[in-house]
Amino acid sequence: MSRSNHNPPKLMLRFFRWYCNPQLVEDIEGDLVERFEIRALKEGHKKAQNLFVKDVLQLFRPGIIRSFTGNQKLNSLGMLKNNMVVAKRQLLRHKMYSTIKIGGFAIGIAVCLLITLFIKNELSYDKHIPGHENLYRVVNNFNKDGNIIKWTWFAPPFAQAIQDDFPEVSLAGRTNEGNNFGAGKNNIRIEGDLQNHYEGDFIYADQQILDLFQFEMVYGNLSEALAQPNTLVMTRKKADKLFPGENPVGRTVYINDNTNRPYKIGGVLEDLPSTGFFQFDFLWTLTAREFWDGEQVSWESQNYQVYVRVNPGTDIEELNPRLSEIGTKYILPVEKRNGNPYAEEEMKNMSFSLAPVTDIYLKSPDINDPYQKSDIKYIWIFGIIAAFILGLACINFINLSTAKSANRAKEVGLRKTIGSFRSHLITQFLTESTLYSLLSFVIAIGIASVVLPFFNQLAGKELTLPWAELWFIPTLFMSSVLIGVIAGLYPAFYLSSFKPAAVLKGKLGMGSKSSKLRNALVVFQFTASIVLIIGTFVVYQQMEYILNTTIGFNKEQVIQLRNTEVVRNQPDNFKNELLKTPEISSVSISDYLPISGTARNGNTWWKDGRTKIDAGKPGQNWQIDYDYIKTLGINLVQGRNFDREMRTDTAAIIINQKMVNELGIQDNPIGAKLTNRASNRFIWTVIGVVEDFNYDLLTSPVRPLAMRLGNAPSTTSILANTQNMAATLGEIQKVWEDIAPNQPFIYEFMDQSFAKMYVGVERIRNILTSFAVLAIIIACLGLFGLSVFMIEQRNKEISVRLVLGAKVRQIVGMLSFNFMKPILLALLIATPIAWYMMEEWLSGFEYKTDMSIQLFVIAGASALMIALITISFQSLKAAFSSPVQGLRNE
Amino acid sequence: MGKNHLGEFEEIVMLTVAILHGEAYGVAIIEEMETRLKRSVSIGSLQVVLKRLEDKGYLKSELGEATSVRGGKRKRFFTVTNVGKDMLRTSKEQRMQLWDAVPDVALEFIGL
Repeated sequence: MSRSNHNPPKLMLRFFRWYCNPQLVEDIEGDLVERFEIRALKEGHKKAQNLFVKDVLQLFRPGIIRSFTGNQKLNSLGMLKNNMVVAKRQLLRHKMYSTIKIGGFAIGIAVCLLITLFIKNELSYDKHIPGHENLYRVVNNFNKDGNIIKWTWFAPPFAQAIQDDFPEVSLAGRTNEGNNFGAGKNNIRIEGDLQNHYEGDFIYADQQILDLFQFEMVYGNLSEALAQPNTLVMTRKKADKLFPGENPVGRTVYINDNTNRPYKIGGVLEDLPSTGFFQFDFLWTLTAREFWDGEQVSWESQNYQVYVRVNPGTDIEELNPRLSEIGTKYILPVEKRNGNPYAEEEMKNMSFSLAPVTDIYLKSPDINDPYQKSDIKYIWIFGIIAAFILGLACINFINLSTAKSANRAKEVGLRKTIGSFRSHLITQFLTESTLYSLLSFVIAIGIASVVLPFFNQLAGKELTLPWAELWFIPTLFMSSVLIGVIAGLYPAFYLSSFKPAAVLKGKLGMGSKSSKLRNALVVFQFTASIVLIIGTFVVYQQMEYILNTTIGFNKEQVIQLRNTEVVRNQPDNFKNELLKTPEISSVSISDYLPISGTARNGNTWWKDGRTKIDAGKPGQNWQIDYDYIKTLGINLVQGRNFDREMRTDTAAIIINQKMVNELGIQDNPIGAKLTNRASNRFIWTVIGVVEDFNYDLLTSPVRPLAMRLGNAPSTTSILANTQNMAATLGEIQKVWEDIAPNQPFIYEFMDQSFAKMYVGVERIRNILTSFAVLAIIIACLGLFGLSVFMIEQRNKEISVRLVLGAKVRQIVGMLSFNFMKPILLALLIATPIAWYMMEEWLSGFEYKTDMSIQLFVIAGASALMIALITISFQSLKAAFSSPVQGLRNE
Repeated sequence: MGKNHLGEFEEIVMLTVAILHGEAYGVAIIEEMETRLKRSVSIGSLQVVLKRLEDKGYLKSELGEATSVRGGKRKRFFTVTNVGKDMLRTSKEQRMQLWDAVPDVALEFIGL
């Protein structure tokens, strides 16, 4: 037997020797080797080796593994254990300081945890789409006097053109979200059913959109669900509601009771992930759909979003400039034929580019499109605030640790005297801070899970703590150790630097050496807190301003009835029935309202006869009725309203002041002739001018607007003058059920719809408020801890003063003033920072509140008050304590 | 029961140690058990039980002489202590009592 050929695997043997209890290692290793040798002879070398590995792994169990303690070689672990014991004793001996340290830490970490989850969620948008790396949308870039204006609406044939003319583009598809095409909310009725359901959102889409976005299907076939004309797909949520427990594919539905155009259900999609820019409930096919004669082949209207898939490895930067060929090949000839004198020049300023779909949500705030988006800017702001709050918590830790250094000084001195190295002490203090940090993490996770539902409400998210995900627990653990080390680093070096001889003689200046640094850190804490407080105040004021500013129309006591499409043929009947209720003073039927999400219709306007001379001015073209101006309380400054008696009013328009200025007809606007088409002339006569009213967000100025008589009946506005809104609503509902049986009754209050436009601002306000509160809590916790410490230090001094006859007022004043100094300094630093930051934020609004001096005074005063109250607990306690207590122990 | 209870595997190990009488070390015990009982035993499970039995005082062990086989490592020989012998005997008696108490019919095979 040549033993050298039959050696057990070396690595496993070494592993075994490493973990095995030294008392057992020899004979078990012998057993292992002997067994291996027997097996190698009997069953072959290979098998024996495998079984050896198995044996070694099976031996890796309690009872065999060496213990962590009681072994000379593992001395550092023993030391660590001792460090833990000391840390535990410290923690329990100074319960108040420990609570402040851990509590502050826990709050800071909980905030960080929530914000991290939030940011992670925001960054995950649209990453779920299969093949998103090659999925792009097309963007229009128009260079207007040096400003690049970007939007994403294209002419119907654009998608086909880009797919045909560029081999890099393998597939292109379109969507249409336009309200004036019927997208949005609609009535849906199942064939053979009477009841309508008001559901949304509907969006038009090509079959190619399904192929591009690769939605998950519940029923039906993804590759043909929208291929046939008049088909639609819906999400699982809506299918479960309309067709509970059945497969609706192939069923017929009617939209808005239109029996001339029945829709077949082509498929059901899995509910869309909330982390996607593309949100809808129903997709209508665009196959064979034409909204007016010749619409699909015309390059004159732009209503479609275009999405493309490019071949993998395509150089987008190289492709983008070439896309302009579409402009010169298709659009330019049409513009020239229409006689646009600026066609050539406009085409030079126009370019197309592909933008990744994954950039839509966060990285395209400058692109005008129909989607709900966020901004990467907010991710940064949130991240920075989270870091700041964590920083504040770390500062508490540093401050309190160094402040209490006097208590540890003797311990350090003694340890050094009996031979401890500085590195040992540093390890000790770092162990301590890591222990604190671990404890804080545990508490923080508790806080976070309690607060999460509120945070979700605040941020409009559906976040959960991702326990099941592999990265989560290790990341938490690693960060707690890391933060523990970071927070503990300065105190560890500071505390371990004491000279044993000086300390043991009692010469240490009771932590006063580092008081400068402590004060600086307090200044920093309060600066951050005050900035946040001022910021919150400004956002509050701006929100109030927006909701109460004069917007040029009346939104109080206006009820908006949605889904009133059915009164299209009997508007006057409906109005008269409503007006029989005495509380209702006016009714107007029009879908064009000064609220986001209602109808819009952008046109280009010229003075008549100058279409070939002037560049046209963009302006809205709304369809309203006779009672619109009265119902919404819009102020008519010149001319007259539409009149039922005047037959010629069908060719009349009322324009706003902005339009007057844009077209340069200030001198005599009434009677001016305008046109909104370059070809196919149609002339409007101005009969009235209204005061500018805001129909966009208040972040932008009022845009030009023209209003004509028309029929856009999907919303009815009702002005009620009533104390009892519920009763009035009941009356309205009665009328509605008479006029439109089987139609859902859906209403909103206009002031609420208006406020809804500003949920974004409201969200920022709420989030900032929470941050400000948290920051001030953490800062005050720290301040409280410091005040306790300071008063402890000056206990004797205070007692002596009291004995010598100092008044309570004097003592409190003296102590408070000492603490007020850093906070006053913080106020001085914070004011300009906050002013600058909020000026930046407000510059995003066209209509904004003034930042008055009072604002800063109030914010500063409240910060001072909070700080003063925090301190006064301790200073009052000190001033009222009996001097005997302080002087008894010498 | 409690402390003085022997597990099934523990009892088998002790009996095997007794069978081998002075020659009982890890691999020998395993082989004996494998040949007699046709059950495969891993070194890991055996060593844990041996250690436990030794801690309880039912077994004692000493290291033998180094030999040229098994990588020159010494063997650890196990013997049953007096306490262990008592334990085995008690265990056996308890079993026998139980067997005696079983009525004959209860263990007859029931024909199909």
